[in-house]
Amino acid sequence: MKQLYENRYYNFVINNATAILFVIIFAFFALTARNFFSTDNVLSIIKNASFVGMLAVGMTFVLLTAGIDLSVGSNMYLSAVVAGLLMRAFEIPVGMGLLIAVGVGALYGAFNAFCVVKLKIIPFMVTLATLVMGRGIGTFLTESEQVDFPERVNAFGQLRFIEIPMPVIVFLLILIAAVIILRFTPLGRQIYAVGNDPEAAKKAGINTDLVISSVYIISGICAGLAGFILASQVMRVDRSFGEQYEFDAIAAAVLAGTSLFGGRGSAIGAVFGAILLQMVETGLVFRNVNLYLQPMVKAVVIFIAVFVDSLRTANLARLRRRFIRSDEDET
Amino acid sequence: MSLTRSDPDTGNAELQFRIDVADENRGFQETIFQWFRRLLISDYFILILTIVGYLFAAQWYERLSNPVNFLNQLSNMWPLFAVAIGQTFVLIVAGIDLSQGSIMALTSVIGAMIMSSELNPAMFDKLPLWGILIDESGGILANSTWAMPVAVVAMLMTGILIGLLNGVLITRFKITPFMVTLVSMIFFSFFALWLTQSRNISGLPDSFVRLGDEGQIISIYVGEKIDPEIRRRDIPTLITNATLIAVGLSLVAGFLLNNTAFGKRMFAIGTNIRAAAISGVPTDRVVIAVYMFSGFCAAVASILYTARLEIGRPTLGEGSLLLDIIGACVIGGTSLFGGKGSVKGTFFGVAFFVLLLNVLNAASLSPFVIDAVKGSVILGAALLDITRTRLLNTERAS
Amino acid sequence: MTIIFQTDKLTKSFYGITAVNEVSIEVKKGEISGLIGQNGAGKSTLMNLIGGVVHPDEGQMRFHDSAYAPRNPSDAYNAGIAFIHQELNLFTNLSIAENIFVDNFPTRGFGPFQFIDRKKLNDNVRDILQQVGLDIDPKTTVEEISPGERQLVEIAKALYLDAELIIFDEPTTSLTARETGRLFEIMKQLRDEGKAIIFISHILKDVIALADTVAVMRDGVLMAQEAVENFDINRMINLMVGRQLEQLYPPKTTQPTEIPLLTVKDISAKGIVKDINFMLHRGEVLGLFGLMGSGRTELARIIYGLDDYDRGNIVIGEKHSRKHSARDSIKNGVAFVTENRREEGLLMSINIADNIALVRLPRFTNTPLQIVDGKRLSGAAQRAASVLQLKSGDINTQTAKALSGGNQQKVVIAKWLLSEPRVFLMDEPTRGIDVGAKYEIYAIIDQLAASGSGVLVISSELEELIGICDRILVMNQGEIVGEFLPDEFSEDLILRAAFREHEQVGAPA
Repeated sequence: MKQLYENRYYNFVINNATAILFVIIFAFFALTARNFFSTDNVLSIIKNASFVGMLAVGMTFVLLTAGIDLSVGSNMYLSAVVAGLLMRAFEIPVGMGLLIAVGVGALYGAFNAFCVVKLKIIPFMVTLATLVMGRGIGTFLTESEQVDFPERVNAFGQLRFIEIPMPVIVFLLILIAAVIILRFTPLGRQIYAVGNDPEAAKKAGINTDLVISSVYIISGICAGLAGFILASQVMRVDRSFGEQYEFDAIAAAVLAGTSLFGGRGSAIGAVFGAILLQMVETGLVFRNVNLYLQPMVKAVVIFIAVFVDSLRTANLARLRRRFIRSDEDET
Repeated sequence: MSLTRSDPDTGNAELQFRIDVADENRGFQETIFQWFRRLLISDYFILILTIVGYLFAAQWYERLSNPVNFLNQLSNMWPLFAVAIGQTFVLIVAGIDLSQGSIMALTSVIGAMIMSSELNPAMFDKLPLWGILIDESGGILANSTWAMPVAVVAMLMTGILIGLLNGVLITRFKITPFMVTLVSMIFFSFFALWLTQSRNISGLPDSFVRLGDEGQIISIYVGEKIDPEIRRRDIPTLITNATLIAVGLSLVAGFLLNNTAFGKRMFAIGTNIRAAAISGVPTDRVVIAVYMFSGFCAAVASILYTARLEIGRPTLGEGSLLLDIIGACVIGGTSLFGGKGSVKGTFFGVAFFVLLLNVLNAASLSPFVIDAVKGSVILGAALLDITRTRLLNTERAS
Repeated sequence: MTIIFQTDKLTKSFYGITAVNEVSIEVKKGEISGLIGQNGAGKSTLMNLIGGVVHPDEGQMRFHDSAYAPRNPSDAYNAGIAFIHQELNLFTNLSIAENIFVDNFPTRGFGPFQFIDRKKLNDNVRDILQQVGLDIDPKTTVEEISPGERQLVEIAKALYLDAELIIFDEPTTSLTARETGRLFEIMKQLRDEGKAIIFISHILKDVIALADTVAVMRDGVLMAQEAVENFDINRMINLMVGRQLEQLYPPKTTQPTEIPLLTVKDISAKGIVKDINFMLHRGEVLGLFGLMGSGRTELARIIYGLDDYDRGNIVIGEKHSRKHSARDSIKNGVAFVTENRREEGLLMSINIADNIALVRLPRFTNTPLQIVDGKRLSGAAQRAASVLQLKSGDINTQTAKALSGGNQQKVVIAKWLLSEPRVFLMDEPTRGIDVGAKYEIYAIIDQLAASGSGVLVISSELEELIGICDRILVMNQGEIVGEFLPDEFSEDLILRAAFREHEQVGAPA
């Protein structure tokens, strides 16, 4: 087994697993499903992938600190509900509605952050609880009725910019913002530092509480935004709005190469992760695969991603072991 | 004899005689603060809280003090208790099992398909196993006396096998329990939906249904005597078959935990897996067995629910049930960090939850709002866990 | 040269043992002050006091001629004291430049939108890197550079901090010869620029070559601090050794035989140990001495089966251990008392009896369900506890956490006793234990060997090994570099072997 770790091919496969998976799956569907390659279809895949993509970008931030945010689906729902209700009741312009959704998302994220940082409850528990709480509050506000969005939102939702649909535009904007934050701002670099070694980060003078809080708020903002944009497409928010999105988001982020163990990953990969997932979903539909098998296939894909992540991390740990002798002076 | 000694934890010097003085004070009066601290750590905290809380709430809502209602609600406890026992085991070894809900769904469906004695083709002919395992006359063992036992065994085996899968992935492939059981959950819940194409499967034999809330073993009547006779159905049952099954499981589990080498090894692993491994504890084997047991418990709970509902439901265990299970365990004193937990505590936690649900229902709140309240209760429970751990550490040191 | 840092009768004790005893040390600007001493002499505690990790029981420190009392590492950091540890605090996923400025990035932008000024970042860092002679692109990720280069980055961090006192703690352990040379050049450079440097090392000839003054510690006491010209290797070793024998050792009753219980042949693991060959005999107490980082614990872990090896084999009794795991070792009659009882030896929150019964748990059960016979378990645990004279409350209710260090160690030994091993591997068995308990542990070790087992004792306390062993092996950098029989037991000689100084006796660099 030792030899395996030093094997170049093994390392290559592990480090580029997602890309390889992408190519394999793409080829599979392209060859076996007719019309898969059509422009319409490709555009549709990208458009549908945008929502998961937005969430995955936010999730990347959280995963970088070795945390997790299970509440993004409920966050989408609650943000859309609040925005929708207010817009209906008060004739608020669409732009305001958008801001309201983002605001709610941010507050939701802030609550998560508070529980994680101040109450010191583990992120999994916190976001599992807020997942349930968020949907509960949303249902309470709507008295279990669905929320229909006013017509003007539809006009907004159908906007295109050089033929690119609105959701894709928003996704790209979020992506660019994320890349800028992660690569070009102090906060971004500190997020990587905290994920790499929280103890050393504290010793180096980084305000780890602030850093960790910010990732949950960012994730919340992305969820709020995603919720509003999705609502602008379907125009109706019912009780199951946003359900299951959190797992897709985690999967997309992990497929993107962001490690569950923290410290490694990038926002750009989220694009490929989200598109890969959507491609799998669409491909399965094209092949007329039974409706219920699709999530199962997705679960397998997620599992492969997580499995590879474990292997990658183990590989790195092995290479990083501290040595007593520097045998490089010898043969 | 020096005046100073070193605090064993931090190495800081402390005045020795100061400790003695503090002991003296304790003898005179215990401050309320210290009493409260002691209460919080106690195993019976939750039980007391439950009783007090319920009595308090009963003042506001008439329904709660009705004994018939009370005993009916109590019957909700048993399936939840069964599955929570499995989760308790997993939590003790510092793991988590998110797949219990999906195990319940899958086993419910598998059992039903074996036992069902009548399936309407119009509804069921799209199912993948139609023609293979099931047809108009029902499942493969429809109307046979073997139907019930075989189905039960199949259900239990399914739970055990899924648990085995989880355990192996966690120990051999070193993927975190959270991720493994999350993927299991997604996979098997949709597997169940696929097998049934979202349909519920009815037509279950009586012998199976009896395992649920039937089998009135002990019934209690509280209230006025009605002439000429009290009607049978007004007498709520305290102990049913379901009770026996759940309590039986709990006795076995408690025995395993407290009286066998296996139990001791579980606690060792949850406390410090490195030390346990160095001392020769077969950590992989024990952890795999624990997840198998967890799957088994989920299957038992599924039997109880399915029997009570009289249908195989692919959506069993969905939604916030996971939260109920983990919440009940944590409230009952099982620590999310491992190394601590008990069947008794889980029982109190489950009682707390079921009665809480009763109170919330009585307040006529919508199910989703109830979920929201449950969510905050979970946060409270997690906070309690952390507080308890910290208090215990300081108690020990002094 | 002005004194920039000094301590005045600094004292610190742990668990009743004085680790630093009224130490008054001086460090001057523009000087390299060497600090040497054996493991346990108090060097690390002294550094922890300076670094604000622990607080002194008595005494004071002064920095820049004003009182210095750091409450935590941040205080030390902010005061201008930098530590270069063996364990580096770098973020492997960030670049060199980012690591140095991680809490204080140069930015430009407007209002709340502040972006990292990459140009300024990299330029600033280039300057600093040049000072340490590191000719690498500051944009390189730390993951990609060698340990030696990483250490230079840590030094660069210290420089950026404008630290005036830089403490190097065993800096050359993971470095190649070339990197060591470069490190020393930089240290001299820093000294010439007026920084004050403390250089802790166990490579004596390095200390003689680099330092301006040398301070020697022994048993928490500062034995001497003088100009380096007053020292040669002999004097250094003499000062480090020769503790007052307050401890008594129990009379030796062992009668070592020639029968090998454990044979280790040609064991090598790349980067860890090389060509290890030795035998442990029935009835023998075999000591394994070496300085920190010489690979002794790593070797024990390999023998016990917790880590893998590349070449060689291990024979226990007659059995070749093909398979290699902790459980197999236990089955073959090997016991391993680890050096950190809290992390790997005990289940702190679990009661004493269960701790003692852990290894041999099946023995206290009745088949088929492995039902624990509480009485049998309790009885056996109680007996083991009495044999070892364990002082505690009721072992069935009291947890391991509440015991003193010595008693905790007895619990660990009791646990292994119950498994009736033939081979005992003990790593620092008396670490953190008071004098009285130490005697008891020595007696236990003696009895174990006398009753027919073989005991391998790893220790950093040379006198202890001389007091209880039948034979002593010495390790240095992963290899066995010496073997001493009782008539050769001399602290001088053994210590030299550990320092690999045996060729350089009496010849200063």
